[in-house]
Amino acid sequence: MSEPVPLTTDHPGQVASTTPPAPGRSRRLSDRWLAVTFISPAMLLLLAMSVFPLLWALYLSFTDYSATRGGPANFIGFGNYTAILTSAQVHTRALTTLIYVVGAVGLQTVLGFGIAYLISRRTHGRGVLTTLFLVPMMLSPVVVGLFWRFMLDAQFGVVNSMLGSIGLGQVEWLTRQRTALLSLIVVDTWQWTPFIMLIALAGLTAVPKYLYEAASIDRASEWFRFRTITLPLVWPLLLIAVMFRAIEAFRLFDLVYILTNGGPGVSTETLSFHIYKVAFLGFNTGTASAYGILMVLVVIVLTQFYLRYLNKLKEG
Amino acid sequence: MRSPKRIGRMSAPGRKVRLATAAMLLVATTVTACGDGKDDGEKASAPKAPATIPELTKDPLTLSFIWFDWPPAKALEAFANAEYKKERPNATIKVNTVPNANWHDAMFTQFAARKTDFDIAILDSQHIGEAVTNGNILDLTDFVKENIDVAAYNPYLLAAYGQFPQAETGKRDENASLYGLPLLGDTWTMIYRKDLIGDKPPQTWDQMIAAAEKCQADNPGVSGLAFHQANGSDAAAVTYNTVNGVYGGNLWDSKTRKIDGVINDAAGQEAMDVLVNKMKPLTAKGSGNWFIDEVNAAVAQGKACIAFNWIAASGGLLDPKQSTLGTTREQILDKLGFATLPSQKTNLVPLGGMGMHVSAYSATANQTEALNFMKWFERADVQKKWAAAGGVPSRTDALESPEFLNAGPFNQVYTDSVPRMRDMWNVPEYARLVDIENTNVNAALNGAKKPKDALDDIAKEQQSVLDSSSRKGGGGL
Repeated sequence: MSEPVPLTTDHPGQVASTTPPAPGRSRRLSDRWLAVTFISPAMLLLLAMSVFPLLWALYLSFTDYSATRGGPANFIGFGNYTAILTSAQVHTRALTTLIYVVGAVGLQTVLGFGIAYLISRRTHGRGVLTTLFLVPMMLSPVVVGLFWRFMLDAQFGVVNSMLGSIGLGQVEWLTRQRTALLSLIVVDTWQWTPFIMLIALAGLTAVPKYLYEAASIDRASEWFRFRTITLPLVWPLLLIAVMFRAIEAFRLFDLVYILTNGGPGVSTETLSFHIYKVAFLGFNTGTASAYGILMVLVVIVLTQFYLRYLNKLKEG
Repeated sequence: MRSPKRIGRMSAPGRKVRLATAAMLLVATTVTACGDGKDDGEKASAPKAPATIPELTKDPLTLSFIWFDWPPAKALEAFANAEYKKERPNATIKVNTVPNANWHDAMFTQFAARKTDFDIAILDSQHIGEAVTNGNILDLTDFVKENIDVAAYNPYLLAAYGQFPQAETGKRDENASLYGLPLLGDTWTMIYRKDLIGDKPPQTWDQMIAAAEKCQADNPGVSGLAFHQANGSDAAAVTYNTVNGVYGGNLWDSKTRKIDGVINDAAGQEAMDVLVNKMKPLTAKGSGNWFIDEVNAAVAQGKACIAFNWIAASGGLLDPKQSTLGTTREQILDKLGFATLPSQKTNLVPLGGMGMHVSAYSATANQTEALNFMKWFERADVQKKWAAAGGVPSRTDALESPEFLNAGPFNQVYTDSVPRMRDMWNVPEYARLVDIENTNVNAALNGAKKPKDALDDIAKEQQSVLDSSSRKGGGGL
């Protein structure tokens, strides 16, 4: 009986190189080539579906190309980038997006952590509760948008009906400037609070019990335990969840499209929604590409700063 | 034995081979993704359809349309499969639908890909300019000369649904090219509650507002007016354009391509003031995002005294299953009246409806079938059958036929409205122009902008789009 082959080694390449090729295998078909052969379909797919479109969009962003008008793509340097960065329309959409991101992610963080904290203190029914809270996250944003649109309808919606039953007047949730953006934040919060809750719950569960036991022996108050044990230990994990949610919220499109269509006027138009209009109403492909590239750059730069802060937090 | 140098880092020749392979893959991906590249270098222009219809295929064939999801789309598919199949048993008609808000994008993204899954695009009249300029649809001029009796139509309907560049309102340029043929005529009808405001409909816009005001005051829970206000599609824009026309305003000066100073002149300002300050207060709370379905729902549930909607979308109002106004069609008609729009300084009404246009990227056999279908559809006897099936025809003989006039209570409204129609701008920049107007009118209706500011913004932004259309360079926001 032969010796069992180790599953992992510290230097797999060296082991592979010293193993003689199996009988019948071509000498040219080394392990490295085999690996390349197996990886290449995935790499090709990545190249075709992700890398190429990004590079192509980068190229188009320096041209005046239009997908429908045809004709050559004329190089115009940074013309598109200058137009976008100096446009009052874009500044308005950027502010709307910022308010939305801060409002929605802030609310989700507070609620998500709060719910996770309460669930983590329960011993019975914790699994069932967690599963129930996760349901909104599993729904398609379009479906969520559609049923919230019905629920928030000023005339026939269940929300106004409930407000009416307690003596409050009708609220125009989706057609007034302030309430429309608030409605978007509320709906997004309803759907994505469970995500923050899930991550926070994982963090809370991982806090060592002995720390609480030691604090109990010292007769530390509940608030003291929360402030000095729970929050510092869960904070880094919570920040990662916040980062994911902020990136998601930054590129919000679907809920806006279904719930308000950017209205009233353009008061709930986010950056992504505006790009959609530039790309598919005006078919200004070059401008839309530059707009998209700028959004990617903003996300990358902000994420880098955020990650550095997280690393410092970890080191500290 | 292999060289230990090859472990960990690649040798120089190996690296070169792999870099070359990666470069080749990138090039191959680029070539595949960009197609054959023929389109990019060529200036688009609409290809010509043959004057005479070539031999039709005997093989089974599906003729696909693209339209938005509303009752006439279902009616067209049922009608065409029932009637056209009698002449072409091997042909099946499929009307693909998308939500109204996606209609333009669904067609033009496929046009942009130079490949369509539809053979006949049902374009809004204002989409023609964009499609013609980009070479997306066939030039039917020669085909129409050979196969269609153009004298049988009101000239404006032919111009509106097929001609580019579009003629002045109410006129057709005999020498201009035709790119489409009428499929469905349409305009707004005024729907009024006979039991609440009387049998006689208001004749002027002022009378209409006064009647709505009184009706609302007399009937708590029922709003005086219901009309399109949404900022999707062309909803709010058509509403403003209608009031603008009635109050003697103009959308632009087509000869000088001037919008700023035209749409926001005194008549335009008066129209915006009437819309926002006199009509809006008579609508239901939260109706700022209403479009076709919501207006119909308000009428069917007895929540509106007077409403405005497209005729082609009004059929459902007479369905007792969808209405609280009566348990039979007759009971509903005792309460609902349909009339042409009231006039004020002019008697203009909005032109709706759409034409049929053949995709330039469809297979030859399908293009041939499409031409044959269009020739068949425009025949006098077929137009009358289409009218009886619930469609709105465009041939004058069909419009005046008992088949059409007896098919619905609002059909007489359409026939009477044809000489009064006015369309929007039929230019390649239409989608951007209508979005600017839509969002600003919607903002004014919902208190996000002052009416005067909204109108001035429309004028300024639309003028900027028109002015930049012939200019090369970045921007395009």
